[in-house]
Amino acid sequence: MSSAYEEIREAAELAAAPRRSPTRPLVRVDLSTSSVAAEADRLWEALPAPAAELDVDLMRVGTLGLSWLEPVVEVERPDMGAVVYGPVRPEQASEFLAAALGDNPTEQAAQWLIGARTPAPGIPALSDHPFWGPQERRLMQWMGVIDPESIDEAIAVGAYEALDHAVGMDPMAICDLVLAAGVGGRGGGGFPAGQKWKFLLGAPGPTKYLVCNADEGDPGAFVNRVLMESDPHLVIEGMAIAGKATGADYGFIYIRDEYPLSIARMELALEQARARGVIGQDIFGSGFDFDLEITRGAGSYVCGEETGLIASVEGLRGMPKIRPPFPAQKGVFSEPSNVNNTETYANVPLIVRNGAAWYRQHGTESDPGTKMFSISGALERPGILEVPFGMGMDELLLGCGGGPPDGHTPKGIQPGGPLGGLLPASDLGLKLERPPFTERGVLLGSGGLILFDERASAVDLTKYFSEFCEDESCGRCTTCHGGSQRLVEVLERIMHGDGRQEDLERIGAIDKTLQNANCLHGQFTPYAVRGLVNYFRDELDVHIEEKRDPARVAPGLTRYLITDQSDPALEEAAALCPTSCIARAPVEGAEDDDASEAQGDWRIHEPSCIHCDACREIAPDAIRVEDRFLTMLSVV
Amino acid sequence: MERFAGLLQQLPRHQGQMLRALHLAQAELGWISRDAIRLIARHLRVTEAQVYGPATFYAEFRHSPPPKTLVTWCSGPSCRVVGGDRVRRIFEAEFGCRLGENTPDDELGLWLGQCNGTCEKAPMVWVNGRVIGPLSMVESVKLARRLKQGEDPLTWPERPIKIAPATFVDAETTYGSEHAHDSTSDGAVS
Repeated sequence: MSSAYEEIREAAELAAAPRRSPTRPLVRVDLSTSSVAAEADRLWEALPAPAAELDVDLMRVGTLGLSWLEPVVEVERPDMGAVVYGPVRPEQASEFLAAALGDNPTEQAAQWLIGARTPAPGIPALSDHPFWGPQERRLMQWMGVIDPESIDEAIAVGAYEALDHAVGMDPMAICDLVLAAGVGGRGGGGFPAGQKWKFLLGAPGPTKYLVCNADEGDPGAFVNRVLMESDPHLVIEGMAIAGKATGADYGFIYIRDEYPLSIARMELALEQARARGVIGQDIFGSGFDFDLEITRGAGSYVCGEETGLIASVEGLRGMPKIRPPFPAQKGVFSEPSNVNNTETYANVPLIVRNGAAWYRQHGTESDPGTKMFSISGALERPGILEVPFGMGMDELLLGCGGGPPDGHTPKGIQPGGPLGGLLPASDLGLKLERPPFTERGVLLGSGGLILFDERASAVDLTKYFSEFCEDESCGRCTTCHGGSQRLVEVLERIMHGDGRQEDLERIGAIDKTLQNANCLHGQFTPYAVRGLVNYFRDELDVHIEEKRDPARVAPGLTRYLITDQSDPALEEAAALCPTSCIARAPVEGAEDDDASEAQGDWRIHEPSCIHCDACREIAPDAIRVEDRFLTMLSVV
Repeated sequence: MERFAGLLQQLPRHQGQMLRALHLAQAELGWISRDAIRLIARHLRVTEAQVYGPATFYAEFRHSPPPKTLVTWCSGPSCRVVGGDRVRRIFEAEFGCRLGENTPDDELGLWLGQCNGTCEKAPMVWVNGRVIGPLSMVESVKLARRLKQGEDPLTWPERPIKIAPATFVDAETTYGSEHAHDSTSDGAVS
């Protein structure tokens, strides 16, 4: 430990001590994007008054990952361990505090009680919770525990210790260590980070850049967001170590604009890190300089591709380029550069601190270590967790995630974002590592897993992903933008009951063409439709042959029917219909002045119906959604 | 505009500051006007075309004045599987405009938003940046009608649906305190 670091560490430990070993009760409130969406900020405003009354401290923390229980609050009492509660509604603030701080929180605060994060007598341990138990929290060790807006607390739990060690190491030795640990690119590529760093180390200097890819565009993936919001210093430290290992002295963190809280917390963390001297000039007196800046994205998915990202950092349109030249040869501003995912960088401090052998204790041969996954969709317990590679997907989604709610049955999984493809529910047993996924023709991707149940239509989902790819294509190569347009057209036609068997061949031809696209965006675009054809063929055939949508979501294949004229709820349904397509039929022979009393049958004017389902929510017993073509046949 | 021109002067003068300059323009002016493009081009020492390219490439930048009330419809898959597409159709029908358009009087706008990972609130929309969800279809219709009447969803007495302020980054947190402007800073970190 260098004396410079020791000094910083001691000061930080002193500053953070009251919160590290509290002598009075400490209340930690999860303030991350997903909890704020559940009104945690209102709770945060409501808490100070009762907290002052009860003489407790309040503290802002990142997330523990229990998204479905937000807002999550943790109460740590000197006489009891840290106990996690949720969801705590803002209006319950004082009631909750009194209960959690009472003599018997197990009973008094039973409605909120989740479990004890550190041992507490009489309270079930969080580690026995199905969501928490199978986890191996390394990156997430301090998430939800430390204040992400305070560098003191991060340093007090060991942040920048690995950097202090690394600045005294030989760059090649760091690369070798990271290579020995086997940490692969967490964005989905899985290319060994150590190898990539060696390319940059070997590139001619003196100017080299590092880029952190936090443009997490995959819908349903929020691993990077949670990392940056809950433990931003882990990312900064990882990048600084990478800087030492590769000879780069400047870095860019490219954060997507949809993550305002991540941007704010990273900006703040950078400012604090500069003020402490843990980044900047002559770090810890070693002579190593490293600084970072944040580039804010502007809503372009394709900027997650590394060459597109580089173009965007340079201030150009975020259009990917053909590789080679690789970024290690010609990257940001045509200087040698290295692009890694946020999670990849975040793993580095842990490896430097604990060694490659420790890192390999978990995970598999092809993918050592642990991985953060964000799970969502039709799940009892959506959230974010960290598990070893090689765990069964069923264990993660059905065990931790609790499977679909209300007794619905899993139908399929969508891993790796819009470009990742689709898997049927029968593949739930797959191990979470890259090879089995690649074998099945899908991508594990950056850690987003969406489970969908029988209520969702695989065809509709595929159309959605294809539309997404079409929309986000940068437009440079015709193969990609034209190909995805044709793909959407074909799927649209199928969903309007105009599908033909030849469409399958057409999809195959488009698939083949798209594989010749310039960048990965175009090449991966057909993954979703390939999954549909390979694994959901039955459903596709029903669309094409029977002109029927089993999930009844395609407007072109369904119609709404009134089945019970006497239901009084129809009146309200008619008033609510956005297109006013529900109305009483005119009664024949009625006088004009009787019009108000004319009680013809309720009808749905089909051409103006937008299939929004609002009427059926109001009058579920009187309105039914039917297969359009089958109904017509049975009427005739 | 003068304010924006003044703030622009504080950015380093090279092309790498393009996104920062465009974000600044949008934060200050609400949209990217031709005049803003001209100013940015001069300041960064590039051609106007080199500004116009990125300004139109990225979905986040608007090229017409923003509506008074902006409804952003989440297009994510988690919303999609629980009826997100129906929510879009309802808002389109109620507002009388397509996705990506404003109503003719610029009072209301319906824009596409990308998944921000608050999927446990699906299906949702953001009204002026505030997450509103989970929405049933009936609630969607009611929400759209109230917005049409000019009501602020936060002032509804009975709060029929969950309304949570989203996290805004205002100019202060992004560009430093000297650039602070009077935008609402709901939920912004201290």
